Amino acid sequence: MSIAIKIENLTKIYHLPKKRKVTGLFNFNLEIEEGEIFGLLGPNGSGKTTLLKTILGLIFPTRGKVEIFGKEIGDIGVKRKIGFLPENPYYYEYLTGPELLDFYGDIFELPKRTKKKRSDELLSRVGLAELKHLALRNYSKGMLERIGLACALINDPKLLILDEPTTGLDPIGGRETRDLLLKLKEQGKTILLSSHFLSEVEKICDRIGILDQGNLLAIGRLKELLKEKKTETFEDLFIKIIKEK
Amino acid sequence: MYKPLIIAKNSFKELLRKKGLQALLVFSLILIGSSRLFSFLTPGEELKMIKDVGLSTIEFFGTLICIFAAIEAISSEIERKTLHTLLVKPLRRRDFVIGKFLGLSLNTLLNFSLMAIFFLVLLLFKEHTVSVGIFKALILIFFELLLISAIALAVSTFTSPAFSMVFSLFLYFVGHLINYGQTLLENVKNVYLVSLANFFYRIIPNFENFNIRDKVAVDIFVKWNYVAKTTGYGLIYVAVALLIGIYFFQKREI
Ligand SMILES: Nc1ncnc2c1ncn2[C@@H]1O[C@H](COP(=O)(O)OP(=O)(O)OP(=O)(O)O)[C@@H](O)[C@H]1O
Ligand SMILES: [Mg+2]
Repeated sequence: MSIAIKIENLTKIYHLPKKRKVTGLFNFNLEIEEGEIFGLLGPNGSGKTTLLKTILGLIFPTRGKVEIFGKEIGDIGVKRKIGFLPENPYYYEYLTGPELLDFYGDIFELPKRTKKKRSDELLSRVGLAELKHLALRNYSKGMLERIGLACALINDPKLLILDEPTTGLDPIGGRETRDLLLKLKEQGKTILLSSHFLSEVEKICDRIGILDQGNLLAIGRLKELLKEKKTETFEDLFIKIIKEK
Repeated sequence: MYKPLIIAKNSFKELLRKKGLQALLVFSLILIGSSRLFSFLTPGEELKMIKDVGLSTIEFFGTLICIFAAIEAISSEIERKTLHTLLVKPLRRRDFVIGKFLGLSLNTLLNFSLMAIFFLVLLLFKEHTVSVGIFKALILIFFELLLISAIALAVSTFTSPAFSMVFSLFLYFVGHLINYGQTLLENVKNVYLVSLANFFYRIIPNFENFNIRDKVAVDIFVKWNYVAKTTGYGLIYVAVALLIGIYFFQKREI
């Protein structure tokens, strides 16, 4: 198996006014294999978003390094292969869904035909095909989440990074997203996601990592972790790992 | 397509739909249109008044529009985190800043043209000809607006929207008062204060250079040479402002 994401000794310290510091991540090591779905779990403020943003180059490591497909994130070629859905996605409010996809498609330099075809396909896939003329500022939270997923897929990415992809979705949307992710995995995509929904993670992730206060407390297959910690349910496991520390 | 152009196109589209900017434009047109009413202040000089008020309105409202638009274009994008999705795409941060500037310039050109055309039509009605001087004044105002956009954009790359607004307006006013600064300083004894002020005097663009309204309104001749030189002066500052903006934006955590 080759490695999709390699994180070595990553430390991220946020500097606040008055010389106060917050540790987002501390000496973090992680390898995500190509073709797997990896789930990041952890209490609020544990560093999940920090990790994803550092991987993507939106914020910069204090120490350590990140490689995606063997390259640094500054590499434009690598960025072509990535799709990202941020937590609470927010988009250009005056654009409509198709306009947004068109804009992002242009940045990936997609040929006109491909762009149009994919945009139509994705819009119907995330259930927004009927709302072609609605500006994004009139979208509901879940609709934004949906258009966000479509945007993340416009370049048919090899690596998909999702920060709480189903938080705002209704049960049907949640199920559809899960099915979609599994289908993408079948196509050989790598997926890294963060989530608070244990049942969802349980259903689709090959491996999970549990974070707290910027540290990786546990990593592995859910079944093996359950055995290792002698717990019955995922919930018990999660709570035990967080409390044990 | 060249990446900055894609950004420019999108940015321009967004700006076109901003209600606040449209309101500013409408208000400026009303002011230009009512400039005749001000002539009661200076009876017999109606024409001079129309020219002066018209050009001043274009300059001032153009400035407001540019600053609002620039802040909308960068600060607000950072604040609202729309950049999270954009900057992970194959787009260099440098190209983002350049693209935004191009989008802003387009927006400036549009707003400026609408105001200028309205003003020129008004003048034509009154005078039946328009002097070359008016065009010279308009050209300089346009380049001043480009410079203001570039400065507001640069400032936006490292501060919050509110601070960008205050700081850009501050630079605008200081840049206009800079000539008075020199006279004021003649009475200051403190060496440090003087050298500090001199430092600012050297780096802050002198916006008064772009102001030939008073001359043009009373038909004093301004050389094309001066217009060209001042335009060049403005463009150099634009380039510097953009470089500063790119530098800070590359370091900015989103
Ligand atoms: N821009 C920032 N400046 C300062 N501190 C920050 C910043 N962003 C995050 N932090 C801090 O870093 C820590 C990790 O935050 P992060 O957003 O990564 O958590 P999270 O695991 O994504 O939480 P949640 O489940 O609530 O989304 C928190 O203590 C947070 O306060
Ligand atoms: Mg988070």
